Amino acid sequence: MADQADFERDAMQYTRQLYSAAMRMTRNPSDAEDLVQETYLKAYRAYHTFQEGTNLKAWLYRILTNTFINKYRRESRRPSEVDLGSVEDLYLYRRIGSEESAEAARTTEDRVLEGLVESDIKKAVEDLPENFRLPVLLADLEGFSYKEIAEILDIPIGTVMSRLHRGRKAMQKSLWEYAVKRGLVPEGAERP
Amino acid sequence: MSGHECDDALTNLYHYLDQEMERLSSEAIRSHLEDCTGCGRSFDFEARLKIVVRERLAEDVPTEFLERLRQALARESYLS
Repeated sequence: MADQADFERDAMQYTRQLYSAAMRMTRNPSDAEDLVQETYLKAYRAYHTFQEGTNLKAWLYRILTNTFINKYRRESRRPSEVDLGSVEDLYLYRRIGSEESAEAARTTEDRVLEGLVESDIKKAVEDLPENFRLPVLLADLEGFSYKEIAEILDIPIGTVMSRLHRGRKAMQKSLWEYAVKRGLVPEGAERP
Repeated sequence: MSGHECDDALTNLYHYLDQEMERLSSEAIRSHLEDCTGCGRSFDFEARLKIVVRERLAEDVPTEFLERLRQALARESYLS
């Protein structure tokens, strides 16, 4: 059992991660602050139930996502779909390849990876329906394992994998659109 | 190179990058990536994209908020 007196020392190191996730969940700073504060207060009150030596970060994320789902979510509970149409794997990569040399393709790849600004990436994540956005955030922002994500979101591991797969594809589709809009890719540069 | 080894590699691309594969299958993919330039390049791109996404999603916590959070926790511990 964890000691409440140690809470600040143990838990405050995760404020940056939790706040970053909360920003992408709520999409605005004021709700993100409320969500993080509520998470920390709940965690503090329940800290005596936390098993010391287990994963504190995952425990905090579980409180964060549950609080978000119960309080801030305005979307319906029904899982929403992402419209992937004919979005194939390696969507972004295949589109930015050049028919010229490998070096030319590499230059375009570098330009895209450097040129996609923070707001493009944030928007691409925020535009995902929530049931895809949460697994993508947990995996790509935080680096949780599939098993940890399954436990945090209380869904089967197979569901985690399929939502991650579809969520990342949908995200690549948006990133491609931002790359085109910013003129980062040559016209007609699709990989054969 | 293209064929069923490439298909296997691409099917497992994200499981590989997410470090979710069993050691042996992971080694099979790694050795395929060394032999196959096409797959090697696409894996490399996805790995770089994963890092870019992670870095550009991070937010700085506003200092005033951190202060308020500490105060809220202090109040909570005083009351309990």
